[in-house]
Amino acid sequence: MNFFNLNLIKNRKKVFSFSLFLIFLSLVGILYSTFNTSYKMPINLGMDFIGGNELRIERVCENECSNISPDKVIENLNKVSKNKNLVNNINLQFQNDYKLISIRTPYLNIEESNNLINNLETVIGPLNEDSKNTRLIGPKLGKRLLLNSATSLLVSLFAISLYITIRFDRKYAFFALLALFHDLFIVFGIFSWLGILLSIEVNSLFAVSLLTIAGYSVNDTVVIFDRIRENLKLKDIEYNETIQISVNESFRRTAFTSITTLIPLLTLILFGSYSLFWFSISLSLGIIIGSYSSILLAPSFLLRD
Amino acid sequence: MKRRQGWLFFIIFLLSLAIYLLINYPLQLGLDLKGGSQLTLQLIKEEGKVSKDELEAVKTVLDKRVNNLGVSESNLQTLGRDQLILELPGEQNPLIASRVLGKTALLEFRTQKIGTTKELKRLQLQRFKINDLIEEYSLLEQNKIIDDFNNINSLLSDIQKTLNYSPKSQDLFGKLIDTKLFINNEIANLFNKTELSGKDLINAGRRQEQTNNNWEVLLTFSNDGGDKFADITKSIAGSEQLLAIILDGESISEASVGSQFSNTGITGGLATISGNFSAEDARELEVQLKGGSLPLPIEIVETNTIGALLGSKNIIKSLYAAISGLIVVGIFMILNYRILGFVSVISLILYGFFNLALYSLIPVTLTLPGISGLILSIGMAVDANILIFERIREELKSGNTLIRSIDSGFQRANSSIIDGHITTFVSCFVLFLLGTNFVKGFAATLGIGVAISLFTSLNCSKTILKFLTTYQSLRERNLYLKKESFL
Repeated sequence: MNFFNLNLIKNRKKVFSFSLFLIFLSLVGILYSTFNTSYKMPINLGMDFIGGNELRIERVCENECSNISPDKVIENLNKVSKNKNLVNNINLQFQNDYKLISIRTPYLNIEESNNLINNLETVIGPLNEDSKNTRLIGPKLGKRLLLNSATSLLVSLFAISLYITIRFDRKYAFFALLALFHDLFIVFGIFSWLGILLSIEVNSLFAVSLLTIAGYSVNDTVVIFDRIRENLKLKDIEYNETIQISVNESFRRTAFTSITTLIPLLTLILFGSYSLFWFSISLSLGIIIGSYSSILLAPSFLLRD
Repeated sequence: MKRRQGWLFFIIFLLSLAIYLLINYPLQLGLDLKGGSQLTLQLIKEEGKVSKDELEAVKTVLDKRVNNLGVSESNLQTLGRDQLILELPGEQNPLIASRVLGKTALLEFRTQKIGTTKELKRLQLQRFKINDLIEEYSLLEQNKIIDDFNNINSLLSDIQKTLNYSPKSQDLFGKLIDTKLFINNEIANLFNKTELSGKDLINAGRRQEQTNNNWEVLLTFSNDGGDKFADITKSIAGSEQLLAIILDGESISEASVGSQFSNTGITGGLATISGNFSAEDARELEVQLKGGSLPLPIEIVETNTIGALLGSKNIIKSLYAAISGLIVVGIFMILNYRILGFVSVISLILYGFFNLALYSLIPVTLTLPGISGLILSIGMAVDANILIFERIREELKSGNTLIRSIDSGFQRANSSIIDGHITTFVSCFVLFLLGTNFVKGFAATLGIGVAISLFTSLNCSKTILKFLTTYQSLRERNLYLKKESFL
């Protein structure tokens, strides 16, 4: 049972330092990403937001698919578009033993995208149209999606803040929101780093995951604050002690809830479609950080010296 | 106890209803699960916002065009204020649809301005030349003789000099097309507008010309349009003035009207356009003219295509993820909460059925993000149960009787559960309002899930638990409270 018994009062400084450290790391990542990368953005925006063309298609091979160097394939794609610059901006990868081809290019129209597949077939042999997955997003739409995601995020954060402020008194609401922004900032920072180190891009589902994390993180904090408020009314013990007891009373619940939410996410990461992979990762990260901040960080704000 | 029994029957009734719904109204699958293409069309207006009427008008025209294309089971919907979404299920190539939909197809009939014959002849000659060049270019490119464009280049610059025009495009093909467009526009400017336009058509068709392999497009005017056409042809019959057919500001054909029509004009309400069309061109024009012209130009801003095989793979993968997620969560709950865990597993199963039944009832089209929303909401549905069970455990530990612990556990967890659900619901609501189609699927399933989980975790769990505790043998305290907790 010791596992569920935290000494919040003693570890308060540690918790604050740990959170500050994470925020510092995130900030470094965001700044580095903004000033020192080729894309000059706080986070590596994917094609949902900047437009582009993505094609994933499987090859039809008898036994094993032949090895071809990606550069060689790209060389032969110069006739896809009238834009001669295209070839320099193609990113091509083979996966699953050269069976699956994944290509990213700047925006192509439908005709050009069709050319791309036809050209590919002449270079690397037949492709299975049934396994095709293409996405074309115009740069204008990309900007719109970015704006759209940002507004959704802001509006829903505002709505959540409003609800919390009505529901709790101001002090509680403020700390619950502080914990929430802490969580979102760190997840954002982690993806900044992923962009820098592994060229991972964020798409509209990332914005969705941030929103979901927001709802989830506030939910967790609310449950603990509810407990604290209830106990402060009922129990006749010292203030700091009451907070610590309340946290420990809710600890099991928060940990179990996180586990039962993480389990389905883990199965999505393991078995789900590739398009949901990074979405599930960011949700999982958000839930882990969210549980940490609701159990340790948010109540620590309430402790008195 | 009687009231609880009522609930029990109600839940069984709902469950049978859900199963009935699922059998009779199968779930609608999105394109990422069944394969197909989705095109997002953006209306373009230079000034001001697109009005509702304009959006509807564009949709009507596009609807007609899509129907005339003969695409089965296609679906065209408006999205927001100025976008439309076209879904083409199955193996249909979005290429043809994109060609037919993208054009404004504004058809006009114009009569030549007096005294422009010389200028027209000059332009027609240049058009003849440029068409030759384009043909030559395509031939060279087909035969992969890409290095031999010098000849075309020099001829093109000759044409440019006579026209005093420099094209915007950088590459040769673009320059050729630009120049052709320029000439056609210039020709169109030599003609005066008349009252006759594409609006006066009641039908369009196509047929192969008798003399060569080209196709021509047949026009049938309405009564009113036929009269207008007769008037116009009468006014220029036998003169030097020509009649031009202009499509989207470009002249596609100019013809003289013989003097034999000077009394009545061309009557009968029929006309043909012969502008060196290929079979495909003719079909596209036919479809566009049948649908009428677009009140506003559109641009295709997004295309998603998913092969059928990939779609079915996505279904299988998601099923694996959902079922294994449910099983592991179930095991976790039973290990930790024993009988209570078992209760939550039953409410989870109910939860799954109710969710799916609502999807087929509303209906919600199930997509990949939608499935992830459903899977994620499993975790959230269990959350409410965990809150309640923790309370029950505490009550039991502090020495309360089982029945009292259950009652107060449900009661005291209520406010936390509702709070938590509301915050998640707020996120879903905003996502649904502001999100793209892709995102809406996620918001819808997560939102529905959160709402249903309120019912299943509060009401269903309680009813099942109450039902189980009517059996004396299931009231053993250690079935609810382990001495040493898991973990």
